[in-house]
Amino acid sequence: MIRVIIPAHLRTLARVEGEVRVEVEGVATQRAVLDALEERYPMLRGTIRDHVTQKRRPFVRFFACERDLSHEAPDARLPDAVIAGTEPFLIVGAIAGG
Amino acid sequence: MATPNEPAAPMTLSNDEVLRYSRHLIMPEVGVEGQQRIKAARVLCVGTGGLGSPLALYLAAAGVGTLGLVDFDVVDYTNLQRQIIHTTGDVGRSKVQSAAEKIAAINPFVQVLRFEAKLTSANAMEIFREFDIIADGTDNFATRYLVNDACVLSGKPNVYASIFRFEGQASVFGAGSGPCYRCLYPEPPPPGSVPSCVEGGVLGVLPGLLGVIQATEVIKLILGAGDSLIGRLLLVDALAMRFREVKISRDPECPVCGANPTVKELIDYEQFCGVRSQESSGAVVQVPEIQPEELKRKLDGGADVFVLDVREPHEYQICNLGGHLIPLGELPQRVHELDRSREIVAHCKGGVRSAKAVAFLQGAGFEKVSSLAGGILAWADKVDSKMPKY
Ligand SMILES: [Zn+2]
Repeated sequence: MIRVIIPAHLRTLARVEGEVRVEVEGVATQRAVLDALEERYPMLRGTIRDHVTQKRRPFVRFFACERDLSHEAPDARLPDAVIAGTEPFLIVGAIAGG
Repeated sequence: MATPNEPAAPMTLSNDEVLRYSRHLIMPEVGVEGQQRIKAARVLCVGTGGLGSPLALYLAAAGVGTLGLVDFDVVDYTNLQRQIIHTTGDVGRSKVQSAAEKIAAINPFVQVLRFEAKLTSANAMEIFREFDIIADGTDNFATRYLVNDACVLSGKPNVYASIFRFEGQASVFGAGSGPCYRCLYPEPPPPGSVPSCVEGGVLGVLPGLLGVIQATEVIKLILGAGDSLIGRLLLVDALAMRFREVKISRDPECPVCGANPTVKELIDYEQFCGVRSQESSGAVVQVPEIQPEELKRKLDGGADVFVLDVREPHEYQICNLGGHLIPLGELPQRVHELDRSREIVAHCKGGVRSAKAVAFLQGAGFEKVSSLAGGILAWADKVDSKMPKY
């Protein structure tokens, strides 16, 4: 079970509050987590990854355990603390309010 | 030490200033020398809104010698829930004038430089020249990229914060070996995809929290004290009251601060953020629109018009046109509730979401659909002055 935190406006879109939890089969990677997330919340397709290229969109970043995972390979194994569920996988989006 | 311009000769403090700043002077991290640095500092606050209010108030109280204020806006009633530098009596007045008065009342030793203008590619470099540190308290992506690029190009730190609903982000960009805003977010979201505070709302105290973090970082940069937020992004969740920090680093391929920059002068940021087409059409996408007066005439004349409200239920509670409520996010699943033989007018708060709804319905084969231009806010302005605005 992976804990995922998504940006506030995407929580509204997905109609969820707080953290999202997803189950991943096999090795827990960014791709596996995002696939599971989009499977469960189809309205998130295209908001985090590009519809076509499946690449992270440039106004979104991935973090966990205080580290920036945005440039990690999509099939790289996530940090142990994320896999263990002690730390969340953070999806952070640009906001501009002031 | 990140302060770019150290004062050549230390500014002396008068007896009145010594008394005023005594709680600073007795701390070894500040002391007389630190307070003189604060007095010599020149800080620009871009925006005097939610973030700019606490930022400017605290910097003034702390004794920043020269404070610049840039804003083109006037105070309105919806600002007062969070923009605490402005009062009810200031509604309708220039924000810069209003803020300058409060600063003078708090600390007459502060010199305020007023820029009653929109920060643009044409004036940013000239305005920034007057200052050592820039604090970004603006409210839109175009100005955020403009402030970032102007900071990088002029070599000045960008003390950054932004807010949405219950959440905030803060960092110090463009200083030392740290990243800039573009290193973090190379491109803005497409217009309309991330709601602004106007559309999505913001907790009134949140800009207080983040604006004070900005003020703290500004003072630390001036003093050269402590660990700055350079290379760190602070993520604030006020609902969970959780502060997380993540490390961020410079992108060697950043178009503005990277090894081979492609942005060497300020560009057209509205075009970069795709907002120009949005402004000209009044919506993100070009769809048929109906003016509030025309809708009113049709409804009064008994025309068979189906009003579709695509806002959220809590917005419907504030005010409504008696329309059928299907929030935009639910429209794809609930489209069967609509009769495609009838004329449908979709509306939201300001016209952005309803334009998306109309584009979606057109794609689903609806032919007689239009979006209420300017949303229920325009209805309140042009048709029903008793309608509450939010
Ligand atoms: Zn950069």
